[in-house]
Amino acid sequence: MIATLANISVTGAQVIASSGGFLIEPSVGLMVWTLLVFGATMFLLSRLAFPRISEALGKRQKAIEDSIDTAERTRKEAEELLTEYRERLKEARAQADEIVHRARQAADAHEQEAKQRGQELLAEAAGRAERDIEAATERALSDIRREVADLTVLATEKVTKKVLTDADQRRLVEEALGELDFSSISAGPASN
Amino acid sequence: MSDAQAGGIGGVPPPDAAVKRPGPGAGDLKPPKKSIKKTLLLLVGVWIGGVILLYALFGSGGRNNSYQPQNEFKLDNWINAGVFSINKAVLYLFLAAIATCVSMIYVANRMQARPNKVQTAVEVLYQLMRDNITGGNLDEKMARRWFPFIGTLFLFIMFSNLVGYIPLPTNTEEKINIFGAHIPSFSLYAATANLSIPLVLALLVFGSYTFEGIRAKGPIGYLKGLIPSGVTGGMAVFIFFLEVLSNIMRLMSLSIRLFANILAGHLIILFMAGALAVILGVSALAWFTIPAGIALFAFEVGLVAALQAFIFATLTAIYLGGAVAEDH
Repeated sequence: MIATLANISVTGAQVIASSGGFLIEPSVGLMVWTLLVFGATMFLLSRLAFPRISEALGKRQKAIEDSIDTAERTRKEAEELLTEYRERLKEARAQADEIVHRARQAADAHEQEAKQRGQELLAEAAGRAERDIEAATERALSDIRREVADLTVLATEKVTKKVLTDADQRRLVEEALGELDFSSISAGPASN
Repeated sequence: MSDAQAGGIGGVPPPDAAVKRPGPGAGDLKPPKKSIKKTLLLLVGVWIGGVILLYALFGSGGRNNSYQPQNEFKLDNWINAGVFSINKAVLYLFLAAIATCVSMIYVANRMQARPNKVQTAVEVLYQLMRDNITGGNLDEKMARRWFPFIGTLFLFIMFSNLVGYIPLPTNTEEKINIFGAHIPSFSLYAATANLSIPLVLALLVFGSYTFEGIRAKGPIGYLKGLIPSGVTGGMAVFIFFLEVLSNIMRLMSLSIRLFANILAGHLIILFMAGALAVILGVSALAWFTIPAGIALFAFEVGLVAALQAFIFATLTAIYLGGAVAEDH
């Protein structure tokens, strides 16, 4: 391989050295052609290619800058919206807490009121019941007194075999009633 | 077996269906390493076998002194018109100019907001020329003024180099007989492989930066600018001549670098592609050297063509920037 490469380089050098003088001989005609062709190329490129490419790149750069600006603006707006939203959310939470607090207070007040009203109703009902019981007791006692009086008169008349006068009847009834103890009857409902 | 059969009834695989699992590397686009190794071994085998077979069949026919590979670069006038005679180099100049103008103007006229691959490549080249080569070495005003010149230099040289790697029927010395028609044989040639073309471009560069330097500083100021500040007396005279010589050397280095690189590239591809076998009379050698020829061709097309254009254009920008710089 090395021998081959050496052979190649030697052969190449020999070839160029032997009859390759024209390779390094400048040609005026070719130089003139080069100037003309290069000049025409530069003219065409600078008129028809470079400005359009530059314009397109400029437009794109502007579009990118605009997009970046828009994105930045949108981001700021989004941040502002987010901040506003957070504030509103905070306010809404505070309002909700207040509403809940008020509702709780109202509920407590209502509960207290209901309890108080219940107690009042209860007390009223109890009083009314007591009064009814007392009235009923009074009525019962009157009935008992009347029955006792009648039974006493009847029993006395049967024992004595004579009709009692009004004064006797009254005296007997009073004595009988005086012997009866109504305190346990009249105190019964009251103690309940 | 149909899909329905393979999948079983209602998509349920049959009980005896083997579960197919992806093998190693499944879903990977890269072929397995074993396959690459096998292919490489096969290629090496074919290469070595071909060398042995060709040598066994044809052996060595002795050295061929009649074939002169350098004649591939010889310029015979096709149309004689004095200074404006037309030859192969002029054709390649025109081809390079046409390729440069057509491709750039074509793309420039179809610039889109969403670029395709070709437009992207052109944009990359344009930005390289504008921002790196020109903008990196010149101030904004100078860059704007000299960009068309430097950009055209870069593109023109690059396209010249690239066109030179397209085999074209331009070798009028050796002809091919196709059904009685004698057409020139295909050859590789580049306009930049002729010294005249890089030389005149280098002269343009020399003239440009000298003109720009004189315009910026005046003739005396420009000549004085060649001497570094603080140097006086005999040393100043010595350095002045050294700098003048350096400027002339710039001219030579610019032109010879481009010319020699492209010529050497073409020559070595030519040798590897069969010229060596023809000269030495060993047919097997052509088979032996062709892989190197292909590799060198790819190297020249892929790197050297653009690199030489880049170097030429960058040095032009540096020289222009140096010519107007305040301090030497």
